[in-house]
Amino acid sequence: MRSLVGAIVWKELREIRRDPITMAVALVLPLLMLYLFGSALSLDVKDASLAVYDQDRSAASRALIERFPQSGYFKRTHDIRAEGEIAELLDRGRARLVLIIPPGFAHKLARGETAEVQALADGSYSTTAMVILGYAEAIVQSYALERMRERLAAQGMAAPLAPVRVESRVWFNAPLESVNYIVPGLFGVILMAFPPLLTALAVVREKEAGSVQQIFVSPIRPYEFIAGKMIPYAAIAFLEMLMILAAGLWWFHIPFLGSFPLLLAATVIYVFCTVGLGLLVSSVTRSQLVAMLLSLLVTLMPSFLFSGFLFPIYTMPVMLQLYTYLFPARYFIEISRGIVMKDVGLAVLWPQLLALLLYTVLVFVMTTRLFRKKVA
Amino acid sequence: MAGQTGSAALTMNAPAADWVIEAEGLGRRYGEHTAVAGLDLKIRRGEVFGLLGSDGAGKTTTLQMLAAILDPSEGRATVLGYASVREAAQITARIGYMSQIFSLYGRLTVDENLDFFAALHRVPEAARAERKARLLAFAHLERHRDRLARFLSGGMQKKLALCCAMIHAPPLLILDEPTTGVDPVSWREFWNILYQALTEGTTIVVSTPYMDEAERCTRVALLHDGRLIACDVPGRLRAGLPGKMYELVAHPQRRALAALQRALPQAAPYVFGERLHLRLPEGGGDAGEWRAALAREHVQLETVRPIAPSLEDVFVALLPSAAAAPPVAAEVAAGAAGPAIEVQELSMRFGKFTAVDGVSFAVQRGEIFGFLGPNGSGKTTTIKMLCGLLVPSAGRATVAGVELGADPRALRSRIGYMSQRFSLYEDMSVGENLDFFAGVYQVPRAVLSARRAEALALAGLAGQEQRLVRALSGGLKQRLALACAVLHEPQVLFLDEPTAGVDPLSRRRFWELIGTLAERGVSVLVTTHYMDEAEHCHTLGLLYNGRLIALGSPRELRAGMRAGEMLELECDQPIQALALFRNEPGVQASLFGDCLHLLVDDAASARPHLLARLEKAGHRVRRIETVPFGIEDVFITFIQMEQARLDTRAARS
Repeated sequence: MRSLVGAIVWKELREIRRDPITMAVALVLPLLMLYLFGSALSLDVKDASLAVYDQDRSAASRALIERFPQSGYFKRTHDIRAEGEIAELLDRGRARLVLIIPPGFAHKLARGETAEVQALADGSYSTTAMVILGYAEAIVQSYALERMRERLAAQGMAAPLAPVRVESRVWFNAPLESVNYIVPGLFGVILMAFPPLLTALAVVREKEAGSVQQIFVSPIRPYEFIAGKMIPYAAIAFLEMLMILAAGLWWFHIPFLGSFPLLLAATVIYVFCTVGLGLLVSSVTRSQLVAMLLSLLVTLMPSFLFSGFLFPIYTMPVMLQLYTYLFPARYFIEISRGIVMKDVGLAVLWPQLLALLLYTVLVFVMTTRLFRKKVA
Repeated sequence: MAGQTGSAALTMNAPAADWVIEAEGLGRRYGEHTAVAGLDLKIRRGEVFGLLGSDGAGKTTTLQMLAAILDPSEGRATVLGYASVREAAQITARIGYMSQIFSLYGRLTVDENLDFFAALHRVPEAARAERKARLLAFAHLERHRDRLARFLSGGMQKKLALCCAMIHAPPLLILDEPTTGVDPVSWREFWNILYQALTEGTTIVVSTPYMDEAERCTRVALLHDGRLIACDVPGRLRAGLPGKMYELVAHPQRRALAALQRALPQAAPYVFGERLHLRLPEGGGDAGEWRAALAREHVQLETVRPIAPSLEDVFVALLPSAAAAPPVAAEVAAGAAGPAIEVQELSMRFGKFTAVDGVSFAVQRGEIFGFLGPNGSGKTTTIKMLCGLLVPSAGRATVAGVELGADPRALRSRIGYMSQRFSLYEDMSVGENLDFFAGVYQVPRAVLSARRAEALALAGLAGQEQRLVRALSGGLKQRLALACAVLHEPQVLFLDEPTAGVDPLSRRRFWELIGTLAERGVSVLVTTHYMDEAEHCHTLGLLYNGRLIALGSPRELRAGMRAGEMLELECDQPIQALALFRNEPGVQASLFGDCLHLLVDDAASARPHLLARLEKAGHRVRRIETVPFGIEDVFITFIQMEQARLDTRAARS
């Protein structure tokens, strides 16, 4: 018996090849999204703008101020001359951090008293504000510590050792660069963004054009039609993965620690899952517009918000944490980050892989159940 | 033999009776709306069965239920011996189906479309090439095998879609309005493919809005508002029409029509070009009553002759005439004479594509000018240029005394335009629509209420201003749209396929309206792809591939035909007789209901030869006679001449 699945695949590939818009969405948009998000989405603080209100104007105050740009985290952009400028700079978002050194700073230091400095941070981006304040505190602390040593040394005493010291080492992303974390997450998001959309539109377009009625009046069974539609789009999605993986490695230079074959195997399951979701959307919609909105709603949006791509799941309220289990992007992003950043294998990732596999099977079964060879 | 795939199973399941389709009480509701109800239908093997009805009559719903891709909400259907709901998969695996909408894959070539459908229907590899070649030859598509389907003309697409639906030689073909908007030549080729299938034993169920297409079917069902109002052989339907049809030529025609409408409303008199048609009781042709009525009005009766009723006459007689036609005014103030539209060498190019190519014609005041042509021939583009909506690439035109491009505002105030989709606001009432269009066309306040009342009378909607447009029937919407388009009393009226999808009774009344407007001096330029509507026009222009290939009155065009004669032949088994003449040189045979139409060079010399052939094959010929050409035959001849001209030019270059 000749394969009807093959007939659909053959037809679909030919149509896709001759459709420049589908080709562009399939091959250009993923790279563009990777580039934009990989470059723009950074949680790192680098060269944050710093405004300084040095009311003391002493050698000591200058020494403290110097340490900020030296750290690499700050860039001194403004010098404040009057109190009134502070609010202005923060209001307009010109300075992320304002450092105020009150008069008598050097004097207090010289007398061995505790000198105070004030740091004002723009808290509208709370995460970066926390990081900035953390850096500022650390810089001031290290300055204070040095001054103490100097003072003790001047009195002929050795500096005491700190009673407890944190020996911190970062595993898995030693330089703590967020691109290393964003890009493996983007694999999951991009494969959820474009392939389901393309697939949903491909089927609904046939419904709108009416050619699907011709498919209805044929010996083909629903699962054969679904599989025939799924395979070419899954293949395209797999190709997309290879492209963005290559771009991640050679463009963003992310370190890839784990197993390529394992990641690709997980990708095969995942692309069938995402394409399947697109088909599921198409089986309950009749117009391309609705299909597009619905697929954005069930694929792209949750994969951004509830997959751990940007917002860590463990900080979410418990109910929302449970909710995230509904979206396959969560599993794949865990797998992708696990392999790329941590070099963990099946021993650790099997639950996620199993979840993905079950999810994919479920989507396929639901789609074939919902797809009826009827016009209404 | 066609139908190998399903015939074995078919004979097992439907042994004695040859019913391919049996439907009982079939119905379908969509929410509150009933699309089809209580449909009883039996279709025999080898029939070509026509489902006739206007838009929204329930044709598509019926066909989808029979094709087992729509479950009925009531009743049941058996197709090829299978229950349409429980055994839907058996039905869809066997039949051929062509939906009304574009059903091909535009980005696949002709060849690839056929290959795909062949694979989809599991046509064995060995049989595929031969079947493809045969179908392509029949459809005259061999030369286009490698063209993408989306770049084919509308007619070619329909032919290809039919080939795709037939690639697996199905025992039953279900075709949903397969020829709407197709040029007459493609149309004839399309039917030739169907005849071929018929002679091979295929059963065909075809829906159509065209009466003349329904005439070709061995049996016809008339659908109206989801109900079957008649179902029989065309000949018997015609015979069943009470009374007799008469054609008269009377002067002045309009006064005659008004008098007849008053004296004999049940005779449903209507204007057919220069002639009036009416249905009189048996023997009423001579009865004095209506003649006296005409004489009282000083109408001169030139000729009276009995004619065979058309299917349209039957349909109109059967339709429940809910909205009575507003009576036609006997006298209308004639407008001044002179040309209203003058077009010289008008052309429109879109990039490399020439949509309209050097078109010239003139329309006099009070003239009805009919633009005929298949979809994509340039009708709408020409109208858009004349309305000032498109700037022509070349040529010039004067419309209502305004040079094209000189003064668009003046032009717009002197023309009216009604598009295919009627462009009314469905959520607004009749009165609100009128007020809106009066505002758009800047109808002066002083005359507004008078014009409004006039428009309501014109549309037959007096006293119904509060009704929502959405609730109106297709025919009433169409009249209202026309009333809106003439609120500002334009000198020239453009109507772009105003009658598409409307039932025949409404169409007749609409043409009466157009006639009234023309007599008042309004020039009407109207496009249509109903060939029979050509008779309503004073002058016809046939557009084909953007060129005006014929221009003249219907009578002139017929007289200009020098391409043989048409023989009508009535015999017992027309489909078998058709098979006899399919490959006969010098004869073009087509099915015409229960008759055959044979186009021959010379009737007198061909007749004995044809009769001998039929007799040898054992056919009993009941009647053979020469019949006048239909307007469609005329157009086919002109298109073939144009095609020959293009072919020689292509051969030379």
